[in-house]
Amino acid sequence: MRNIILTLKSKFGVEILKEEKKQIWLKADKKNLLKICSLIKKNGFNFFSSLTAVDILEKNVIELIYHIWSEEKKTILNIKIKIDRERPEISSVSNVYDASQIHEREIRELFGVNFLGNPDLSSLFLEDWSGPAPFLKSFDWRNYVRKKFYSKENKRERGYFT
Amino acid sequence: MKDLNKEQYQEFLFGPAHPGSGNFSVKIKLDGEKVIESKSDPGYLHRGFEKLMEYRNIWQNAILSDRICVFEPLAWNLLFAEAMEKLINIEIPERAKYIRVILAELSRIQSHFIWLGAFFSASGFDAGFKIAFGYRDYILDLFSAVTGGRVYPAGYICPGGVRKDLPRDIESKILKVLGKIREAVSYFEKENPAFVSRTKGVGILKLEDAIRLGASGPVLRATGFRQDVRKSEPYEIYQKVAFNLPVLKEGDAYSRFKIGLLEIAESVKIIEQLLDKIPSGNFINAKMKFGAAFNFPDDREVYVRNEIARGEGTMYVKSKAGPKLERIKIKGPSFLHLIPVLEFLLKGTEVADIPIIYWSLNGCPADMDR
Amino acid sequence: MNLEKINDKANKKLKKVVKSIWVFNWFNSCGFTEILPVVGSRWDMERFGLIPVPSPRQADCLIIAGYQTMKSIKRAKLIYEQMSSPKIVIALGSCPVSGGMYWDSYNTIKRLKDYLPVDLYIPGCPPRPEAIFDGISKLIQKSTN
Repeated sequence: MRNIILTLKSKFGVEILKEEKKQIWLKADKKNLLKICSLIKKNGFNFFSSLTAVDILEKNVIELIYHIWSEEKKTILNIKIKIDRERPEISSVSNVYDASQIHEREIRELFGVNFLGNPDLSSLFLEDWSGPAPFLKSFDWRNYVRKKFYSKENKRERGYFT
Repeated sequence: MKDLNKEQYQEFLFGPAHPGSGNFSVKIKLDGEKVIESKSDPGYLHRGFEKLMEYRNIWQNAILSDRICVFEPLAWNLLFAEAMEKLINIEIPERAKYIRVILAELSRIQSHFIWLGAFFSASGFDAGFKIAFGYRDYILDLFSAVTGGRVYPAGYICPGGVRKDLPRDIESKILKVLGKIREAVSYFEKENPAFVSRTKGVGILKLEDAIRLGASGPVLRATGFRQDVRKSEPYEIYQKVAFNLPVLKEGDAYSRFKIGLLEIAESVKIIEQLLDKIPSGNFINAKMKFGAAFNFPDDREVYVRNEIARGEGTMYVKSKAGPKLERIKIKGPSFLHLIPVLEFLLKGTEVADIPIIYWSLNGCPADMDR
Repeated sequence: MNLEKINDKANKKLKKVVKSIWVFNWFNSCGFTEILPVVGSRWDMERFGLIPVPSPRQADCLIIAGYQTMKSIKRAKLIYEQMSSPKIVIALGSCPVSGGMYWDSYNTIKRLKDYLPVDLYIPGCPPRPEAIFDGISKLIQKSTN
C-alpha cells in the first residue's frame, strides 16, 4: 500500500490530505486522471463505488470526487479534482472502469459537466426539461416552484410568497 | 422478423402499467420472440432529494431520510445517523447500538419478504405471494409497538442514539415472531416445480461481468465472490456477532432466490444472539436534544457505506457553518443493478423471461431515482 | 320522454358497479407498501368484492396512491381515458391533497384535482388498511342511498 502512494506522489504530484483507518483522501490534477486510474486498477483497486460533484460558487470551480475500493487491501481512495466552472469538461474514465459510465451520465444531466469520450450522454431522469442544469447553485429552484405550481390568489397559499 | 414496410425491427415499451413490472419501464427491440437490444427508462419517481435536504435542518432531515426507499426505511435512517455522527464526531451509548442493530436486521427480513412475494406473483406462484405478505405483518406489528408507525418510523433512529426507550415486555414478543418467520422459511424450502423450472438457468451473470458492471450485495454473492460491507468495514457492533455469508456459484435467477432464503435464516441467528445481552443505560447522547437548535462545524466532509438489504448504499456529506448542510449525495445499489446490469442481461433472451430477470435482481426504483 | 325512467336506469347502472369494484393495478410510489397488504391475506379485500385486474378496459376504479411526477401523471391520464364509464378515482395519502412532504420539489405535482376528477380522499402518510376500508365503505353507502 505504501508503494502505491509513494509512486503516485513522485510521478503525478498527488497530495495526501487526510488518512483515516480505512480511507485515504488525495488531491490530484485534471490532466493526470487517466494515468492515475490505469495505475491503481492494475494494483487491485477494481471496484468503482461512486462519483460526486460539488458546486462551489465563490471560488468559481466544480469539484469532482472519485471513490474507488479494493477488496484485498480493504481501503477506499477518494480522489478530488477541481475543474473550471465557466467551461466544465474533463476526459471520461469509462474505458478503464465500465461502471462509471452511468454516473457520468447523471452528472451531465444535473450539473452540465461534459465528459469527453463517453459513448452515451442522453438525458436520464427529466423528460421535456428545457431550463438550465437544475442542481447548480445559480438556478433559483424555490422561485421556479412558486411560479409554476402555486398562485397568489389562493388564500391558503399566500404565505409562500412573502 | 422485420417490418416489411420500414425495414426495421419492432419496438415495444415494457412499461409501468404492466402487471409484472414496478414503477419502471424498458424499451425493447424485438425480432419475433427474441430481444435484440434493450434500454432502461428511469425517472418516474425523481423528486430531487439532494436539493430538498439542503433547505432543511438536521432534525427535519432525520425524518425525511426514511422516505428515500419505501421498502426499508429503517436502513436509510441508520445510514444518515451514522454520517451525521461521524461529521460532528460524537459517541453514542452501548444500549442504543444494540437497539439499532436489532431493528436493522428486522428491517432486512421484512424487505426480503416483499421481494420474494412479488417475485412469486410475477412467475405464477400466487399462493407464495399471499403467504409472504401474511407473515410479514407480524414484523410490522413489532415496529408499530416500538417506533409508532407500521411503515415510516418518523425518525426513530436519529443522530445521537434513538428517540425513545424500548417498551417493557418486548423481548418475549420478538422471540414469538422469530418462531413464525422460521415457519414461513420452512414452507418456501419445499420447492414448487413450476417456479423451479421457470428460474433455473435463466439470466446467468458471470463473475468478471458482475465486478466490471458494479454489482454488489446478493447479486454479487450469487456469482461466487465473497463480499459484504458488514465484514470488511464493520460498523456499530457487527464485529462482536458471529454470522456466515452464503455464497453460491451458478449466478442464475434460482441461486439469487436461494441466497435470499439463506440470508433470512442468518438474520434470525444474529437477533437471537443479541436479545439477552442488551445492556442498561442511556439511549441517547446527553448533548443532543431532538428538536433543539443545532449548528454544524465548518468545512468538514465524510463518506460512509452500509450494507442495506439490496446491496451497498453510500452517502457523502459536506458541511458549512450554520444550521444547514452544503451538499449531500446519496447512492443506492439499484442505480447500478437496474441500468447497466439489466441491459447486459436482457440481450438474446425471450420476452417471457423479462419479468423473471427483473424481479430476481431485487431493484427498488425509488432508490435509483431519489 | 319520461325523466323518471332515465334516472332509474343511471342509478341501476351505478348500483351494479358499486356492488363489486374492480381496481386497476397502477401501484406507484409510497402507497405501494400499504396496498399490497390490503390485497394480501390478512386485510383481505376480496371479501368486499375488490380484485386487481391487469387491463384498463375491465377496470372500474383507479387508485392514485402517493406522489406523481410530471412524467407519470401523463401516463395516468392516458389510462384514465381508456377506462369505460362509470368510473371512479380514489386519492390515497396526503401528497395528492396538497403536496405532502415534497411541497417544494421541482418535479412533483401539488394538487391532483387539477388533472383528474377525484371522488374520494383518504388522508394519512400512509393510511392504515382500516382507514382504507372505512373510506371505501362510505363511498358504497353514499351511492346506494
